[in-house]
This record gives sequence, C-alpha cells and structure tokens, in this order.
Amino acid sequence: MIEFKNVNKKYPANSFREEKMALDNVSFGIKEGEFVTLCGRSGAGKTTILKLISCEEKPSSGEVLFENQSMCDIRKSEACFLRQKVGSIFQDYKLLSYKTVFENVAYALEAFDFDENKIEEEVIQVLDLVGLKDKVNCFPRELSGGEKQRVSIARALIHRPKVILADEPTGNLDPYHSRDVVKVLLKINEAGSTIILSTHSKEIVNALKKRVITLEDGRIIRDEEKGRFFL
Amino acid sequence: MIKYIIKIFKSGWINLKRQGFLTLATSIVIFIAVLLGTFLYMFQGGMSFLTEAIKDKIDVSIYFNEQVSREEILKIREEVAKLEEVNKVSYVSPEEAYENFVKTHENDPYLESLKAIEINPFLPSLVIQTKEPSQYKVVSEFFKKEEYSSLVYEIDDYKRGTIIDRISSLSSGIRNIGMVLTLFLGLIAIIVTFNTLRVSIYSQREEIEIMRLVGAKNSFVRGPFLIQGVLCGLFAAILCFVFSLLLLFLLKSNLENLFMGFDMFGFYKDHIIIILLLQLFIGVGLGLISSFFAVRKYLKD
Repeated sequence: MIEFKNVNKKYPANSFREEKMALDNVSFGIKEGEFVTLCGRSGAGKTTILKLISCEEKPSSGEVLFENQSMCDIRKSEACFLRQKVGSIFQDYKLLSYKTVFENVAYALEAFDFDENKIEEEVIQVLDLVGLKDKVNCFPRELSGGEKQRVSIARALIHRPKVILADEPTGNLDPYHSRDVVKVLLKINEAGSTIILSTHSKEIVNALKKRVITLEDGRIIRDEEKGRFFL
Repeated sequence: MIKYIIKIFKSGWINLKRQGFLTLATSIVIFIAVLLGTFLYMFQGGMSFLTEAIKDKIDVSIYFNEQVSREEILKIREEVAKLEEVNKVSYVSPEEAYENFVKTHENDPYLESLKAIEINPFLPSLVIQTKEPSQYKVVSEFFKKEEYSSLVYEIDDYKRGTIIDRISSLSSGIRNIGMVLTLFLGLIAIIVTFNTLRVSIYSQREEIEIMRLVGAKNSFVRGPFLIQGVLCGLFAAILCFVFSLLLLFLLKSNLENLFMGFDMFGFYKDHIIIILLLQLFIGVGLGLISSFFAVRKYLKD
C-alpha cells in the first residue's frame, strides 16, 4: 500500500541551522491493514516519514508510493485528494480554536463536500466512539489534553481513511490518557484501517506487540514484526 | 455548488461572530478608509463648487461710448454671444448701472457727491462671462477689432487680467492638489487596510495549515476568509454611511460657513446613491482584495 524506495530527505541550511539529512536512503513497505510503529529518538526522522506520506513534504531523492501512485508529482494544492485517504493525528492536536468539537470533526467532511444530514449523523457516531458525545458544543480551550487528542482522533477517523498517521499522539498526555488513545487506535486497526504510529514511549511499543521500525539519524536500523522498543 | 457556497458563507459568518475583537478591529480600519474615500469625494465636489463660484464671479465688462445707441449695443451683444468661448452676455444700461451703484454704495459718503452732480456718469456696458476664466483674452481681442474699437470706451480686462489669470491658475492648482491628495490618502488607506487584514490572517496561519492538513481544498480554505473580509467591509460601509450622514446633518450650518457656502449635507443628500455605492465599493472591495492577497500567501504551492 505504501512504499518508500531509497528515499532521501535533506532540509536546506539556513542562518540558524546547517543542512540536515532527515532521511538517508530509507526503503520499506507497509501493507494494507498493518499497524506499524515508528520509534527512535527526537530528530531520528519519524515525523519526516509521516510528512512524506501525507504529502506535506517531498523527498529530495527516491520515491514514495501510495497505492502505486508516486507522491513526488503531487502539487500541494492537489494534496487534498490524497488527504481524503489519509487521516492525521498530531501531538499538539491541531484543532481549529474558533470551532466547537462538533465543527472541528465535521470540518473534515465538509471539506469533502458531504451531505449535511449525513455529516451530523457521522460526527455524533464518531464522537460517541471516542467518548466525547457530551462535549459536542465545547470549544478546544474548554477541553483537557486527553479530550483534545480524542477530538483529533475523531477528526482523523470521520472520513474513514485507509491510513491513519499518528505523530506522537501520546506525547502530551499522562499514562491513563495515553492508554486510552492507544486502545482507540487498536480498535480502528481492527476495523481495517492501516495505522502508522510514531512514538518514543517504550511502554506503548512493548505493549502493542506489532511491527516496529526503529530509526536512528535518518536511517532504519531495525524493522521487526512484533518488535520491541530498542534504543 | 449552491450548497457549497452556502456552506462557505455560513462558515465565514460564524468565524466573523466568534472572532469579535479581530472583526471589530478590521471593520474600524476599513471604516476609516471608507470615511476617507467619502470625504475625498466630497472634497472633489466642494472643489467643483468653489471653482464654479469663482468662475461665476469672473466677468469682463465692455464700456461703450455715450453716443452708441442701445440698439447698436444689443446687435453687438448678439455677435459676441455667437463666440464659442462666451457663456453669458448681459446688457447693462446707464440707468441700471446707476441703480446698481446706489444699491451697493448705500451708506457711502461719495453717493452724496454723485447725487450732487445731477447727471448719470455711467456708460452703457456689456458684461460678458466666458466659459473658462482664462478665455477673457478672446473677448478683449474681439473688441479691439477696428469695427468696434471706435465704439468702445474701455475694456476693463486690463485691470482684472492679472487677477483672472491668478484665480484661474489657483483653481486648477487646487484641483491638482486635490487629485494628488486623493491618490496619496487613498493609497495609505489601502496599505493600512491590507496590513491589518494581513496581520489578522497571519494570526490564523496555523489554522489555515490545519485546514489543508485535514484535506480542505484551497477554495474551501480561502472562501470563509473572503466572506469575512466582505462582511467587515459591508459593515464598515454601512456604519460610515450613517455616521457621515449624521455628522454632516449635525454640523450643517458650521460647515457651510467654513466652506464658503458649500452645503455639504445638501451635496451628500443629492449624491446619496453615488456616495452609498462608493462606500460599498471601497469597503467591500478593500475587504475582499486584502483578504484574497493576505490568505494567498499561505495557500501557495
């Protein structure tokens, strides 16, 4: 489903930073329905891999394929069509501050021109799934970190994407909320979606017992089925 | 498609309501720009009024010799009226001239001496008004022709020539200054409005990025911002319309004295549709264009 072929990604130098090699000759594939955890230290290249999949970034060389289509030729303005197949969850939630919980989740469907009645039905359903049905009219500022992350998950789920990219979704959460988030991700995976989770939490990686790709300085140093946290 | 537009409109309206302070700040800046545009339009109107008033007061008087008959002068009047440059020609008989003098110098001591000499010293004359003040020379040249020079006692442009020239250049100077001022202040208004909207949209750059990450098309991201800009402009224009109408009504007499009899409230009333359209055009146009350019930066590839 997703394939990286000899991908290199360099971030150009600027006055504050020297040129940085974020990914160095990275190759791997992800099958449909897989649950893959990317782990490694900060700056190892986990987020860059996710950004390449969601078309936020382009590789400096090599090729990224999504359902056999090269992502290198997609322009940023055309990326919206790809993002209909991908749902993203972020460490900092990235919620729209002037929109309510309901509107934040519904936005993803509105953007894809869904029927209004269907939107309401789907949003309520997905908010129920993440346990936020009673918070529909709250604004993000009125929610706790865990609740915000669950809204972010609901938004990523709402359009039933084929792949969910979770970039350190538990990074800002306490262990109780982290466990809840992982449980939701597993549930989504069981329903058939491919999950790519980036984390540096040892407990989560070891508890999952799923495929683990370990990165170091932009290179894959380990790729194991039912892997463990190893750094 | 209609549903899509309604959705964008609704989203823009909701954002406008929720971002109360930003909306107010943006509307106030656009309001100032619209107010400036309104008063510059009125300034142009005032300038036309003043120039016309000055032109009305500029005329050339041709005094004929005593023995030239009324009929002869009226014939000449017909000839003069045919000149392209001439706007109005009136005949002033010696009696009328006498009466006018008495009226205007009612309390002057030398009116007594005029009465004492018991004759009418005034000559018959033609008072000629040209279309443009600078054209008075054509009139004086006309009367310098051989066939008229013997009939004419005096052409008073020799005395007034310099004044007419000065007024003429002054009025065109004022017009030019007005034009430059309009362009300059207009440019400032555009820059200030654009910058305010840019700052307001800059503060939402992260939200724009989120919208794109969630999968919204550029038009779906841009739409609500444009609607917000248009609504701010609309609000500012309506506010400006009511505010300036009220202000001019309250200061009606004061302004009339200040601007040499130019009735600003009357001018506003007479041009109410044009002014309202101008205000809507400036407000909505500024809001729309500024939002478009401010948000474009974040939607580029």
